[in-house]
Amino acid sequence: MKKILAVLQIILLLAILFMLYSPLAKIGLLPSLGSIFRNPQPRIDETPVIIQQVKNIAQMFTQTFYDEYVYDSGIIRTPLLKLNKRLIFIAKGEVISGFDLSELSEKSIIRRDKSIVVKLPPARILEVVINPSGFDTFIEEGEITFEESKKFHEDARRIFDRNAREKGILRNSSEQGKQMLEKFFRLLGFESVDIIIAEAG
Amino acid sequence: MNSEIQNKPVKFKRLLILAVVLLALLAVNLAIPKKKIPPYVGVRTLKDLAELATVEYSVTKIVSYKDVAWYGDRKILFAAAATVKAGIDLNELNDQDIKLDNDSAVSISLPAPKILLFNMKPENMREIFNESGILRSDFSNTEKDGLLSQGEKDIRAKVGKMDILQRAARNARILIESWLKKTGFTAVHIVFKGKGGRP
Repeated sequence: MKKILAVLQIILLLAILFMLYSPLAKIGLLPSLGSIFRNPQPRIDETPVIIQQVKNIAQMFTQTFYDEYVYDSGIIRTPLLKLNKRLIFIAKGEVISGFDLSELSEKSIIRRDKSIVVKLPPARILEVVINPSGFDTFIEEGEITFEESKKFHEDARRIFDRNAREKGILRNSSEQGKQMLEKFFRLLGFESVDIIIAEAG
Repeated sequence: MNSEIQNKPVKFKRLLILAVVLLALLAVNLAIPKKKIPPYVGVRTLKDLAELATVEYSVTKIVSYKDVAWYGDRKILFAAAATVKAGIDLNELNDQDIKLDNDSAVSISLPAPKILLFNMKPENMREIFNESGILRSDFSNTEKDGLLSQGEKDIRAKVGKMDILQRAARNARILIESWLKKTGFTAVHIVFKGKGGRP
């Protein structure tokens, strides 16, 4: 009886200690048990970076749109066991727009003495960038497969593209392209600079 | 014998107090919600750029990780691809950098080339292998993102050491020379300010 009481006392004391530790870990004052046992900093293996293609390009970036978006996949029910899963992440990235100058031809630049006319193709979205470091998982419930997460990430990129267009990225891009080329050609001694931007088809 | 009988209620009392303390702490624990950092959503901003990208590198890398422990291993393998564009920032070009000799000759001092864009598109990433021991949890989405972020960091570092900036400079020279010749300049001299650029 005496031994049982002593053991019970020890168990209760340990439980109390755990209960004292747990709220402190919850509010972030102490590390969580999981993080104590988890591998602190996983290091990927050393592998080479291989060049697949080198391309000569002529792209003029004239506008960037920085965005942050909270993406919520909503509750997804698995087909067989009807389990709930959900992913909420924060995506940070940018949309870059400008001109593809490789589309310029001989006829795109017309010079007459001190005046010049440059015909540019329409401004367009050149890149939507959300790199892996730009994704921050906030809530992950259930088993989200890599393919599912990839689909959500691609969806976030489409949202970035849409937001940038709604914010007027293409209009600003055209305006900035005009100003930039005007400045450049005036520095080259041209007195009259006319930049014509084609209408988007 | 007598003292043992007297000690028993004291021990029970002590146990009871401990149990009450434990219950009180349990209640506190349940009342405190798990800390979650609220998502911060920054301001959406449009910003002017004046950059000329002249070269694009498409690169690939295998991102592999082995988590070895006595109670079981976890292994994962991804194939990742990235696009890197380099060129010159024309915002750094000022009046003193362009010198006109006459109407047909020009000298331009261009800013040093740099990496302008790094893009790892999700559609170009594949999970090739993923295996966890029976006593191990599967790789979470957060862990996978963390591993791919490390891959991204490694690609950035390694691309910076490739000849991308030299190619960007060479292409920028060819491109600007051809434009200026189209505008009627017969002699075009292009030099670069400084060397390198940011990795």
